[in-house]
Amino acid sequence: MNDDSVLKVPMFSPKWKKLALSIFPLTVILGISLGILKDTFTPDHLGQLIYAGWALGFIILNLCKEPEEDEMIKSFRLQAFQTGFYWTIWGLMAIVIISFWQTGSLDSEWFSPYLVLFLLNVYIYAAFRYQLYLSRNN
Amino acid sequence: MKNTVKVERAKKNFTQQDLADRIKVSRQTINSIESGKYVPSTVLALKIASTFETTLEEVFQLEDNDWE
Repeated sequence: MNDDSVLKVPMFSPKWKKLALSIFPLTVILGISLGILKDTFTPDHLGQLIYAGWALGFIILNLCKEPEEDEMIKSFRLQAFQTGFYWTIWGLMAIVIISFWQTGSLDSEWFSPYLVLFLLNVYIYAAFRYQLYLSRNN
Repeated sequence: MKNTVKVERAKKNFTQQDLADRIKVSRQTINSIESGKYVPSTVLALKIASTFETTLEEVFQLEDNDWE
C-alpha cells in the first residue's frame, strides 16, 4: 500500500517555500493596487483576494518537503492534517454562530471557499509547526 | 514506551548524528526518540536495535500506560 501510486503523491521541493512566502505580501500589494485602480473593487473583494492568496501560500507551504524528511516528519504531517481538519470544523462553527448572532441569518458574506481553504491550511500549518517546536524544545 | 537508546548509543560511543546517519533519519528524530517524545515505527525501531547489535526488547520496553 505504501507504493500505491494513487495514494502516494509527490511533494514540492523546499525551494517552493520561497514562492509561497512571496505570495503573502504580493497578494496584499495586488489588493491595494486594485483598490486604487478599480472603483468597483470593494473591501469585501479585498478580503476574498487575501483569503485566496494566503490560502494558496499556505497550501504550498503544507505541501513542501522539510529539508530533512524522515518518518517523524511524515508522522507530524499526518497529525497536522488531522488536527487541521478538526479545528477547521470548530472554527467554521464559531463563524456560523457569530454570524447568526449578528445578522440573524446563516447566509453570511463571510463564508467563501477561499475562507475555508485559508482556515484549513492555517490550522494544518500551525499544527505542523507546533509539533516541530515541541520536538525541538525539551 | 521507554527506551535505552541513549545508553546503547553511549556504549557504542555514537553521537546522535552518528546514529541518525546510520539509520537515515534526522538528528532531531533521534533526540525526540531518546526523550520519549516520538515513538518510532517498527522498521525504525528494528534498525536502531540492529545498529546497536542487540534485540528490540533490549532497547524498547512497554510501560503500563501503553496498555491503556
